[in-house]
Amino acid sequence: MAQSNELQTGLYRSALLAGLWRQNPTFRLLIGMCPALAVTTAVKPALTMGLSVIFVLVCSNFVTSLMRNLLKPHLRIIMFTLTIATFVTICDLYLKAYFPRMSEILGAYVPLIIVNCLIIFRAEACASKCGLIVSILDAIGMGLGFTIALCILATTRELLATGCIFDLRVMPRGFVPWLAMQMPVGAFVTLGLLLGLASVLTRRKAS
Amino acid sequence: MDRFYVLLMGFLSVVLVNNFVFTKFLGTCPYLGVSGRIDSAFAMGLAVTFVTALSGTLTWLVDHYILVPLGLEITRYICYIVIIAGAVQLVEMYVRKFFPSLYDAFGIFLPLISTNCVILGVCLFINIWGIDNLLEVVVLSTGTGIGFAVAICIMAGIREELILSDVPAGFQGAPITLITAGILTLAFMGFAGMIK
Amino acid sequence: MPKIKYFIEQSWLLIVSSFCFGLLIAASNAALSPRIELNIANKLNQLIVVLLPVAKQFIPLDADIQVEVRGGKKEKVKIYKALSDTEQCVGWSFKAVGEGFSGKIELVVAVDKDFEKIAGFDVLTSSETPGFGDQIKMSYFRNQFAGAPAEELAAVKTGDPTKIDADIVAITGATVSSEAVVNILNSFISSIKKQMKEKGLLGDGTK
Repeated sequence: MAQSNELQTGLYRSALLAGLWRQNPTFRLLIGMCPALAVTTAVKPALTMGLSVIFVLVCSNFVTSLMRNLLKPHLRIIMFTLTIATFVTICDLYLKAYFPRMSEILGAYVPLIIVNCLIIFRAEACASKCGLIVSILDAIGMGLGFTIALCILATTRELLATGCIFDLRVMPRGFVPWLAMQMPVGAFVTLGLLLGLASVLTRRKAS
Repeated sequence: MDRFYVLLMGFLSVVLVNNFVFTKFLGTCPYLGVSGRIDSAFAMGLAVTFVTALSGTLTWLVDHYILVPLGLEITRYICYIVIIAGAVQLVEMYVRKFFPSLYDAFGIFLPLISTNCVILGVCLFINIWGIDNLLEVVVLSTGTGIGFAVAICIMAGIREELILSDVPAGFQGAPITLITAGILTLAFMGFAGMIK
Repeated sequence: MPKIKYFIEQSWLLIVSSFCFGLLIAASNAALSPRIELNIANKLNQLIVVLLPVAKQFIPLDADIQVEVRGGKKEKVKIYKALSDTEQCVGWSFKAVGEGFSGKIELVVAVDKDFEKIAGFDVLTSSETPGFGDQIKMSYFRNQFAGAPAEELAAVKTGDPTKIDADIVAITGATVSSEAVVNILNSFISSIKKQMKEKGLLGDGTK
């Protein structure tokens, strides 16, 4: 009995921590990148997007895990999509009501969470197969990993583009802002360089 | 003539100036995954064009004639995604029946397309831009698909050459593709201001 | 009969869950939409108050004023009469829309009580290039309009931005966006002024 308890805690812990680095959605699994490029012009939108994705992930994993024994195989994808669409609509309404400024900046990228590969992937790979608690922990882990990745990207871009984070001046006064960072160029190049860095670090650890 | 000019400008704008991959970051996942070879890239681009043209038009029709008059805007996202899933199924069945060789070329891409950001993105942006005649909607949605196809074919061509060059081990694959995409975006910025 | 039974057996989960999701969305909408409406109304008012500081209340005008927008369509414009605390008319304000460099630009414009001078404008929504066209939101560009005559404005490339007249110095590197703002103001102000004079709404200014 004690052994199975330990096994379970170990399972929970690995479910939670996997999303943070080993299976980080943006840097390792390379999914869910469309919003990563679009909303990371500043740290606040990135944070808002990350938190929205955590909300949708947790709710959708919760519902999918509850339904997992009732799903018919060929209707799975549409069930997942419907669940995700519902929670994204609720999240969008909430943002419009309580954070109108952020909702405006994020624009059409909030409904695009519906087609974010990350959420459907987790629903398919984890929530439809595992128990309730494991699914929720997995969702939290993946969501946190995604948010952290977005924030790293956003911090780099905002720092280099304006010299400020959250309106606090960080770079010295003589710093010439790299405007290209706020444009699509900066997004692609920064993400590419960060991915390269992550890949190099992983190889070094492995060898 | 004036109408034709507006449509032409809209088409060019969505393919070159406001290309959905380079300026709106939509479709990055398949963009990175499929652009390894030109023929698969072309097949993917073609498939996406079919689906965007069909779903852009269908979602606009449903929104304009059913959702708005009945005040059901709140169900917009759900309706869009269901229509897109249905459109993908339709295109798949149609292509399988009438163009079997093309179907073999598409392979697994077709089901993959329904989670492609470009499709939902087109429907949402057409809604945001407030377009209100059918012809413009058809032209813009087809144009977006063609823009994606152009972007992915250019990328495939570059990647085929990249294989032969000396990329550092950590950067092979996704990182170098993204950096290339960044430079491509810079190049496409040159089209900005082309259309007033 | 067996076909229908098969159909129901396969898709009962889809139907039931669609129903539940629909209820969930309807509930969130009912709970949050009053707040969303409030946000939209507040936003407009907040911006106008900055432009016309003496105004204490805004009354919507009950007149049919129409302006031709893109594509030759005529759209009704909602005009607000700004009143001071002594119920004197201190100005008018309205929302102006037009095409910018990359997308729609929405402005909130305030003019003085005789429609002779522009009190100023602010940008409600726009999607111009960050660092270039986005600078239309900056005060150094907008201040050129404060006190400018409410007639045909012209966007010029060089000039003195501190001189308040009908010439507006365009932003370097953002000619199209600057010209777009000037064009929007021109078309809306001249058309509204003409219609209001025709309807006799402008006049002694004490109404």
